[in-house]
Amino acid sequence: MPDLSFVFAQSLSGLTAAMFLFLIASGLSLIFGVLRVLNFAHGTFYMLGAYSAYQIVQWLGTGPVSFWVAALGAATSVALLGGIVERFLFQRLYGKEELYQLLFTYALVLVLGDAAKIIWGTQQKSLSRPPGLTGALSLFGATIPYYNLFIILLGPAIALGFWFALQRTRAGRFIRAAALDRETLGALGVNVNALYTGVFVLASFLGGLGGALITPMRAIVPGMDTEVIVEAFVVVVIGGLGSFWGTFLGALIYGQVLSFGILFFPRFSIFSIFALMAAVLIIRPWGLLGKPLK
Amino acid sequence: MIRALTLLLAALLALPIAAEAQKPIKVGMPMPLSGPAALFGEPATKGAQMYIDEINAKGGVLGRKIELLTRDSKADANEAVRVARELILKENVDFLVGTLTSAEGPAVSVVAKENKIVFIAPIPKTDQLTAPDKLHPYVFRVAANTTMEGRSAAEIVARWPVTKIGTIAFDYAYGQDVTRAFVEHIKKIKPSVEIVDQQWPKLGEQDYNPFINAQMAKKPEAVVSSIWGGFFVTFSKQAKALGYFDALKYNFIGLGEAGSPETTKAMGADYPTGIWGNSYDAFYWEDNPGAHKDYTARVSKYLKDEYPSSWAIQGYIGMQFLVEAIKKANSTDSDKVAKALLGLSVDTPVGKLILREKDHQANRGQLYGKTAKDAKYPFSIMKPVTYVDPTKFMD
Repeated sequence: MPDLSFVFAQSLSGLTAAMFLFLIASGLSLIFGVLRVLNFAHGTFYMLGAYSAYQIVQWLGTGPVSFWVAALGAATSVALLGGIVERFLFQRLYGKEELYQLLFTYALVLVLGDAAKIIWGTQQKSLSRPPGLTGALSLFGATIPYYNLFIILLGPAIALGFWFALQRTRAGRFIRAAALDRETLGALGVNVNALYTGVFVLASFLGGLGGALITPMRAIVPGMDTEVIVEAFVVVVIGGLGSFWGTFLGALIYGQVLSFGILFFPRFSIFSIFALMAAVLIIRPWGLLGKPLK
Repeated sequence: MIRALTLLLAALLALPIAAEAQKPIKVGMPMPLSGPAALFGEPATKGAQMYIDEINAKGGVLGRKIELLTRDSKADANEAVRVARELILKENVDFLVGTLTSAEGPAVSVVAKENKIVFIAPIPKTDQLTAPDKLHPYVFRVAANTTMEGRSAAEIVARWPVTKIGTIAFDYAYGQDVTRAFVEHIKKIKPSVEIVDQQWPKLGEQDYNPFINAQMAKKPEAVVSSIWGGFFVTFSKQAKALGYFDALKYNFIGLGEAGSPETTKAMGADYPTGIWGNSYDAFYWEDNPGAHKDYTARVSKYLKDEYPSSWAIQGYIGMQFLVEAIKKANSTDSDKVAKALLGLSVDTPVGKLILREKDHQANRGQLYGKTAKDAKYPFSIMKPVTYVDPTKFMD
């Protein structure tokens, strides 16, 4: 039996991973829930968020707030890019076969990935943790870096904000309605195209923010997009594609299984995740909190 | 009259040979040029190209120019095999120099064997590439192998006042092989050592927190890691935040070029200065062989980088061996060049290297050192830089 402080530390590291994944997977899930498109390029938006944050910090220098300005600036620029992509390219694909949509998002991965390589090169980049969050907290014998704590708190904050926006605001009602029945919503006089653009912009913002906020914990390298997209897919598949709380739950489960899986199967940490995903798919093919597609 | 005709005939016969002599010698280079490994693949191809440019400027070899054909292997064994075949069958390359990962190298070696084409591996480290059952007349390696890297780490760690050791490595050929070589050698030279923990994240892992917690819970006094490249940046950022290096009192050795200038440069103040690391090359190597300073100046100019990449030298040395072998064989015939490579000794920027006859392996070591701050550079460097000559413990 491992001692309790270790179990505590391990569950917190699982929680940090989970909240990061939630940030990224929520955008993926949102686009699928409303637009019914599996956006492979979501990982690329995450990568562009990381590179943009790096770029902005280069311009601003390392001041007390430059990291936060960079994170928001990066997320906003990625959101803007997402808006342009949706408005001018994606909108031509609605109602077409799913295969075209998949191919398009995949092409976007390749094109934007190459563009990033042309702009920033192949050398690895890195950003430091923002001043004020560089230390660590000692709690019950476990070391919890302040930055991890910030992420752990940010995840639920975003989840609650999301929930509030979807349930309590006018735009949220439209988004929920669009997920259910696009035609009727359009017939009622709502500008569905603008709504879709808005959703895409919001999802891209979340992806970009996730990328910017991961920079103090990971290297910024070409290829970081494809690494994360697989994890995000696993999360939404476990939780249920298009289900908001499902994504949250999926991320929580993913983090804990990864953290504790390595104790029981030290050499098959990745295996425990896929085993879990397979089990979920067998019992509930639409994910834990998802609904079967009609 | 007859004499004149004979002369004319002789001249005509000589023409195709002269024309043949003008054709360039083609060298195919499969190398990762996209994805995370492009970080190393790109400078390695540039190092090779630089050597070729220098040789061509002097008139080439055997009167022929050399032409380098690079292809993106995507750090994937299947893709490396595909481009190697394409280079041989479509482009008719005479030789292969290339590959980076320990998955690509052995896969391309099989292609070289089938097509009887000399293949020089400048970077892959897995022992399996030149293991007795995999060795064939056409495969050669001018990089250090996992035995040499793991054993040299053991030689360093054995001097530390520690007995409880942990390891962390990616769970694939390179990580497994280098860890095994380390563990076997340290148990031999310092039997009091106990391996208290071994962590095996998957190749390309992005979240090391659970592995770091699990390792710290076992309280090792020193750790040997072979997490490489951008992954080391990710790993050490997360480890540093958790107080991992402090808990180890910086008794940590990062194999897989964790001490390389590009890694310390990328991390700046975040680099866990005080650990040990290795590198293929270091431009700040003070007591280096004379040829090294010269090389560094040239590569810095070629790459347009004040602090040049440590991976360019691998492509450079790989091409050096090929060209010297062609000269020695006085032919571009693969069988003759393969024979010329056996026991070939070449003056490289890191000193004289010899390709052993028995296992086609060069005695290429690495640069090791404890990382430290130096006012001259905006990033950590290894100080002092020590070249570990592996000749003593290659077998």
